[in-house]
This record gives sequence, C-alpha cells and structure tokens, in this order.
Amino acid sequence: MGEVKALTGNKCATMGAALCRPDLIAAYPITPQSSVVEGLADLVFSGELNSRMVQVESEHSAMSVVQGAAAAGGRVFTATSAQGLALMYEPYFRMSTLRLPMVMAIATREMTSPETIWSGQQDAMSVREAGWIQCFCETNQEILDMIIQGYMLAEDKRVLIPVNVCYDGFYSSHLVERVELPTQEEVDAFLPAYSLPAKLDPATPQALDPMTPGELLMKYRHNHLEAMQAALPVIDEVDAKFAAAFGRSYGGAIDTYRLDDADYALVTVGGMTGTARDVVDAMRESGVKVGVLKLRFTRPFPVEKVRAALANVKGFAVVDRSVSFGWNAGSMYSEVCAAMGETLAGKAHFSAIGGLGGADISMAHMENVVKTLTSLNEPGRADTLWLMD
Amino acid sequence: MSYMDILKTAPQVMTPGSSACQGCGGELILRRIMQIAGNNSVFAVPPGCMAGAGVDGWSYQNGCTAPIHITLLDNTASFMSGVSEMYQRKGRPDVNIVAIAGDGATADCGFQSLSGAAERGTKMLYVCYDNEGYMNTGFQRSSTTNLGSRTSTTPTGAAINGKEQSAKYVPLIMAMHNVEYCATASPSNMPDFVAKVQHGLEASKRGFAYLHVFSPCPTGWSFKPNESIAVARRAVASNMFPLWECDKGKFYMTENRSPITIAEFVRGIGKFNKLTEEELGILQKTADERYALIKRLCGKD
Repeated sequence: MGEVKALTGNKCATMGAALCRPDLIAAYPITPQSSVVEGLADLVFSGELNSRMVQVESEHSAMSVVQGAAAAGGRVFTATSAQGLALMYEPYFRMSTLRLPMVMAIATREMTSPETIWSGQQDAMSVREAGWIQCFCETNQEILDMIIQGYMLAEDKRVLIPVNVCYDGFYSSHLVERVELPTQEEVDAFLPAYSLPAKLDPATPQALDPMTPGELLMKYRHNHLEAMQAALPVIDEVDAKFAAAFGRSYGGAIDTYRLDDADYALVTVGGMTGTARDVVDAMRESGVKVGVLKLRFTRPFPVEKVRAALANVKGFAVVDRSVSFGWNAGSMYSEVCAAMGETLAGKAHFSAIGGLGGADISMAHMENVVKTLTSLNEPGRADTLWLMD
Repeated sequence: MSYMDILKTAPQVMTPGSSACQGCGGELILRRIMQIAGNNSVFAVPPGCMAGAGVDGWSYQNGCTAPIHITLLDNTASFMSGVSEMYQRKGRPDVNIVAIAGDGATADCGFQSLSGAAERGTKMLYVCYDNEGYMNTGFQRSSTTNLGSRTSTTPTGAAINGKEQSAKYVPLIMAMHNVEYCATASPSNMPDFVAKVQHGLEASKRGFAYLHVFSPCPTGWSFKPNESIAVARRAVASNMFPLWECDKGKFYMTENRSPITIAEFVRGIGKFNKLTEEELGILQKTADERYALIKRLCGKD
C-alpha cells in the first residue's frame, strides 16, 4: 500500500488518472472540475507524469483531441462538468459510438438555467443515452479507485466502451477525506499498458466511420447494446480483481447497506449515500427497518441486481439530484421502477428530488424521506417529494 | 521532379468512383493533395461536398488507400490535433497529418477548433477548399460567401438582393495566428498549388500549416462545368483571390501587374447574375484594398 493522505475528490481524480499513465490528456477548466486540470498540468509540467497535455480552447475540442489520440492508439483522459459536458455532447456521443475506450471524470454540477455553478447530477444524468458507461462515486477513495478500474473496464475487449466516473461537484470535488494512495508499481501491476491497435494507421489503412447505411448502422447499435450488457459481469470481475490487489471492494454495479432485512429502502446515487447510511443507522435505533441501495452504475443499468435488492421491501424511495422533466420525478426513479417490472406491484414507492443547484441533502431531508415511506398505507406511486426547507 | 511528373506518377490515394459533380474544384484539389501527401498519411475530411461525394469510400464497396476519418463538421482540427500528438508521441513524425475541409467546416462552425489548433502550433496541414458556401447541402450561405451572391439562404429577392455582407477573409486571419506556414492557392495555377502543398507538408513537420484554396463550384455557382478552371483563373487574375504565402511570418506574393476587373470575373457566373453596380463597386474596392494590403505585408509598397 502507498501513503495515506487527506485529499479532495478532484485530487483523487487527478492522481487516479496520472497513475493510469495516459498518453494524452486534453481538458478545459470549468468549475468545479478545474483543479483536476491544474493538478494534471502540475504533474506534466514538473516532469512527474510522462503524458502529453493538450490545453484546448473548449470542451468540444477536449473531447475531439482525446478522440483523435484514441483513434491513433493512445490511452487518454479528460474531465469536465455541466456546461462543458453539454458543449462536448457532439464528440462525446461519437466517442462511445466509435467504441473508443477512455475514462472521463465528471465533477457533477447543475445545468443552467437558472444560472448556477453548484452541485447537482443533472449534467451526467442528461447524457445517459449517449452510449457511455456511467458510474457515480460516494467517497474520494472511490473516485480514485474507479478511475483505475474504469480503464480496465473500458479497455476490456468484451466492453470497449468509454467510462464516466462521476462525483458530486464541491461536496466531493472540493472536500477532503482520508484516502489510500496506491503506488505506481501497484497500479502498473493491476492495469496492463494500453494495447489496443490504432484505428488510424497508415500500416493498416481504413476509413474510420464512412457513410454507413441504416442496415449496417443497426448492427453497430446492436453490438453496442450487447456490449453494454456484457459490461455488467465485467464490472463485478474488475471489482473483484481490484479487491484482490488493493483490498477494497465496492460491490460492483450496486452497493447495499443494511438492506437484507429491511422493510424500506432509500435508493441513492453518489455522495448523498453517506447521509443515507447515517440516517439508516439512526432510524434503526428507533426500530425502523430501513436500508440503502446505492446505484453505483447507472449505465449499464443493473436491472437484475436492483430487482433482487428491492425484492423484499414494502416500499422504497429513489432520491435524485436531477430531474426527469416529463415524468414529474427524479432521473433514476423511473428507471428503478422500470427495472422492478412486475415485481413493483405491491410496493409503495416515490421519487424524492433534492440537492439541486448545490442545495444540501441534509440528515433531516433524508429522515423525512424515510418517515414519508413508513407513513404510506397503500402500494403504488406516491407523490414526488421535494427536499426543500 | 516537375509538378507534371508528380501528378502523373504519384499513385492515386482517393477512392475511385466518387460522386462529385462534373467540374468540381474541390474534388480536383482533394485528389491532388492526397496524391502529393501519399499513403504514409492520416487524412480527415469533415462533412461537406467531399465527404458527401464519398472520397473516403462507401461501406464495403471501395475506399481510400490511406487511413481517413470523416470528422465532425466542427472538430476537424481538434480531432487531428489528437492524431498528430499521438504520432509525435509514437515517434512517427514521418506520418503526414492532413485535414481537407470546406469553408463551412473551416470558417464557420469549425473555426474555433481550427483557431485553437493553429494557436497550439499543432503539427498538421489543414487545407480549406473554399467554394464559398455549404454546397453539399444545397448551396447555402457561409461566412466566405461574397457580397451579392445568390445562395439558397440568401436568394436574390425583391426586398433583399443576395448576401448582404462581405466575405470573411480567412487566410489572413490564419496567418495572424503566427503559424509555421500559410498560403492561398488555386487549381488554375497548378505549379504554384503543388509547390504550396509540398511546402505545407514540410512545414507541418514543424508546426501548423494552412492552405486556403479557391474551389470553383459549377453546380452551386451556376456556370458550365467545363469552365471551372477558367473561373478560378479569372478569380486570380482579377485579384478576387490573390495568391500569396506567409512562411514563418514572412509574406510573399504572386504579383498581378495587369489585373482584370471584378466585372470580368463575375461574367457568366450565375450566382452573381443580379449584382447591382453598387455591389460590384464594393467587390472591386474590397479586392483592390486587399491586394494593396497583401502587397504592403510583402514589403512591396
């Protein structure tokens, strides 16, 4: 094991990326991600990290530069937030549909308008149909670890899909936690050097992405969807390998807390899970059997695991830091309900929306979610609960 | 080797059987550039006439003999920045990194990424074939469309007569990026064109090289396909499209001692059919002033 340090989430993203020895990094600073770019620049400019750093004029170009470098056979990294992610949507969608593996950190942030720079998961959630694998981190240690795991997952030949490692802007990006920093030797032993062939190479000339007729395009999409499903067991494999190498396991696509005998479940995404864990402990003291289901991966959506985890609860609430405009619900609520399928019948459930635009999801908010759950007398969907003071 | 020998003997790289229009300037330009750059290259062609004409190939049927990618309309220079950086990192600076893009992908929505790549001094050759509009999608206006031109989004109507604004002069903006090499060229002046492509490729080993090429478009501009080269020749002869280069900050030009008028240039080109005398006067003044400016930049006052 390397050193134990007190690090911010952004520093963890920086160190995670650096330990994976990317050939090229292209990034454009944006709040709250900026210190990732600054941190990587420090490492490259000081000579500690042998990566090419391309300092671009926009996020659109950041994603385009790493796309070119990946097409030319390199391991690449970038990071962004909110408006930056929105600006890079065009090459972002293309990165996954070109099936070029990479890792991109997203320090999640609310989308404007109203004008905001603060936390929220609307940015990452809004691009969940763009073909990337998306995971959300609860702790700073998890950010660092998932960037390392992300490269192994993305570059697995059964997968070949780029990975977003998402973590809450400010709450994770700027706050400090205890982190075990692996050594370079440990990461080198875990993560093999990049070995995928270059797609643009004069030795093997090919047209990368010529005009493609619909019949053929359908096959590409079919393969992509199949690979997304194939990633689910690979996520577990990589988690197990990581646990063997570093002694830390996160449970794969989902994590649970005191859920086995629970009557009620809080379904969470990202940093709010810590609050949920504390509230569960407190409520259990008073006799309420409640547990947590943490969605670690939202793409691919872990349907079977979610269904199994919620099989025995009477009711659940999905707490979202983002909204689904047409559903009067948070982004993940509808997806959890869809995953439950016919097993949803007989359960009480609702969407809770909080933490938008940097607002806190407090202990009191989370307690209120549990109290609302326990007060429901009938199965089916209850009203959306807004976590506002 | 003379330019004729190069063009006669260098193997064709471009996909055979492209569906470009008869008399297409862009196709000729792209074919020649690919021939000169050769197979030890990576090419990028964004959406536009050339990608639409299938210069990269069509599914399983045919293809280029060199690697090629249809970039996004607005990320050609940034995508190729990544390709270039990786080839430098792999110790393969011998590979030519070449982008060939229309004026929409260059001067309009691709301009930011182009400017960024130029400012960073990315080792690549970027060529704009300027047919003064979005010709592939039905002759819509671009920022390089000339004043008074008829396009499908600037029709010559009773209220407004063609494009209301002057063209953006992109090559000089690119030269001001302090690039390694910047030049204008025309398919009507082939020896000059070939020399500038060669110079651009050589400069791309040291930094950013930019070529702005006049690309006559019979279909979009409404003139006979067999007149393309004549139109390009008149563009140069009238100083509508002066030939110059900027090598490491030093300007050189092909002097034009007896220019023809802009009125002579536009004759027979349908898109200028409804030019008013006033518009013609502005075009003439713009051409004269630009020529004088370039002359001053070349130290030929």
